[in-house]
Amino acid sequence: MELDNVTRPVGQAQPLSDEDRRFLRELVETNRIEHHGRLSYMDIMFDLEHRYGNSLPGPVLGEVARLVGTSPAQLNGFVTFYTMLSTAPRGKHVVRVCTSGPCHVSGAPAILSSLRQLLGVGIGETTPDGEFTLEGSSCLGICGVSPALMIDDDAYGNLTPEDLPRILDTKRAGGAQ
Amino acid sequence: MKLFSTQIVVPVDSNSVLQGALEVKHVLEETIARFNLGSQVSVVETGALGIYDQGVVLAVFPDDVYYGGVKPVDVEEIVTEHLLKGRVVSRLVIDRNLSSRRLVEKETGLSQQKIVLRNAGLIDPQSIDEYIARDGYAALAKALAMQPGEVIQILTDSKLQGRGGAGFPTGLKWEMVAKEQSDEKYIVCNADEGEPGTFKDRLILEGDPHSIVEAMTIAGYATGAHVGIVYIRGEYFMSIARLKNAIKDATEYGLIVKDVMGTGFQFDIEVYRGGGAYVCGEEFALLESIENRRGEPRNKPPFPPQHGLFGKPTVVNNVETFANVPPILLNGSDWFKSFGTPSSAGTKVFSLSGDIVNRGIVEVPFGVTLRELVFDFGGGVKGGKHIGFIQTGGSAGTVLSDKYLDIPLDFASMKTNNVSIGSGVILVAGGDVPLLPFLAEVAHFFWHESCGKCTPCREGTLQIKAIMDSLVNRTADPASLQRLGTLLDLLSDTSFCGLGQAAPLAFESALRNFPEVFDRALAESHVPEACQEEA
Repeated sequence: MELDNVTRPVGQAQPLSDEDRRFLRELVETNRIEHHGRLSYMDIMFDLEHRYGNSLPGPVLGEVARLVGTSPAQLNGFVTFYTMLSTAPRGKHVVRVCTSGPCHVSGAPAILSSLRQLLGVGIGETTPDGEFTLEGSSCLGICGVSPALMIDDDAYGNLTPEDLPRILDTKRAGGAQ
Repeated sequence: MKLFSTQIVVPVDSNSVLQGALEVKHVLEETIARFNLGSQVSVVETGALGIYDQGVVLAVFPDDVYYGGVKPVDVEEIVTEHLLKGRVVSRLVIDRNLSSRRLVEKETGLSQQKIVLRNAGLIDPQSIDEYIARDGYAALAKALAMQPGEVIQILTDSKLQGRGGAGFPTGLKWEMVAKEQSDEKYIVCNADEGEPGTFKDRLILEGDPHSIVEAMTIAGYATGAHVGIVYIRGEYFMSIARLKNAIKDATEYGLIVKDVMGTGFQFDIEVYRGGGAYVCGEEFALLESIENRRGEPRNKPPFPPQHGLFGKPTVVNNVETFANVPPILLNGSDWFKSFGTPSSAGTKVFSLSGDIVNRGIVEVPFGVTLRELVFDFGGGVKGGKHIGFIQTGGSAGTVLSDKYLDIPLDFASMKTNNVSIGSGVILVAGGDVPLLPFLAEVAHFFWHESCGKCTPCREGTLQIKAIMDSLVNRTADPASLQRLGTLLDLLSDTSFCGLGQAAPLAFESALRNFPEVFDRALAESHVPEACQEEA
């Protein structure tokens, strides 16, 4: 059995181009300046997800580990701990449905089951056309308008199952709310 | 500076944006320009007003008229009738008493006072000048003129206790850090608001970000720290943007960073984002996360005041705790103690959610009862239904029946009556919400959020989830309630950190307050044949 977990390509694994390497170097340096000589891996990871289609490809993480001076295993441990980050490929849009108490009481189960139906996928899965990844989420902190969900950076509240097709269509067409 | 005769305030926060606040504001500005009122009427964006079930709200000053449920099509009528002709559009007016009461004010017999939310909904959170006009940074100036020890003494005398859930005395915590001899110390603001049903920190950060910048700088001066870090949930985009903007403006005004107010004191503030891990609300897990590691708690003691961020003495306080600091310094500890009860000074911000008529935020003195929160402020249960259950304190909080409605909420009664206040969650479920699926969701939440470091929590939350699911599906075996009880004791006694220790609260309290629901589920259960053979 080969013990190559550390370098195993995850996500959309493609060899890094020179431009990738330059981007990563600049990203890490900018972050170092912003945090007065320290680093925030989380900021770096969010920027990486933004560039690499909502996920963190293995070769990219390997290069970032080298740049920040940690081991790929350490960085992989960090990345896999946090729900918002993903090493597995995700769709163009990440749908985060809140399933916590306040949303549960005001109708989240119905929202989730109609999303499953509309998208034809379960939690943690991506639609075959690569548009949406459906994720369950803990409280999003907008309980004043529960039930709520977020798609990418946009939040939607006071939802009914009837609102969902329109929201998904707008997202698919590239718009926000 | 222009002088306007009328001001229209539009609360813009994460909740109101979802109801169309920005569209209304945009149309309002356009309409005002179209009717040539631009020189007399100003439109001001403000933070949370705390009212969510009235749609988009506009407040017109000095007339003191509040409009609710405003749609873009209503705007022209407001402009032509109210602004041009001075006739209030009565069909849109909402009860002003409701709005002002909702914001904070509860008749205490003493006076009415907003403390934490003193500026939310009144000032433009993106304007440092408006914050300064409301005594902003005056507390910092006052503190800088005192000895650090005097600042801490005022806080200690005020009996301010941490508002994140644990209720540790803030003055004592600061004193512990001040006493440590170290060239590096840190002030950390815990804004990783993850307790389901809590949205107060978000609204404080969105509505009054400078209050946190000011309070952290005061904490730095009092304890001898020169770096402040705010750890905010990654999903709180608006909070992050507004806080960063506040830090930038305060830096430009010379209120933070180098040579604060000409005193030579230096204090930097940085923002770190979270990645969607509930356990990072635990202070050591949060510090680990800032140090770029998995958010797993550390052994206690030593506690953060001795051995915190990067191994240095560290103050970790919740957003709401910090927001209390400037008013206490300005008005004194006796003023602060005049609110609340003997065991709990000051106010608490509660987040009302679920099947309640007025969902939103209220700030009231400690000692308020659930009945007042749910019925006076919250307007009762939606559709006039009966209360099924109320969860207080969050998912790591207690599930209560309506028998608890008249218990005053403060730190003392929490202990004697087995009622959690936690981060101030009041989640109301109507009589038609089944309890067990709700609890199964809570179990699922803890199973998902357990960091996996210690066995009782990692395996225990999985087992609790399995038992809850079996009760929901009516496949529970006869010994499952007994096993559940053992598990809950095990988790609260032996878990490594607060997450595992508090996870049993919801289930323990539900078993105590609604035993019949569990008994019925057990009586109706049929163990699947396959499982019977195994046993």
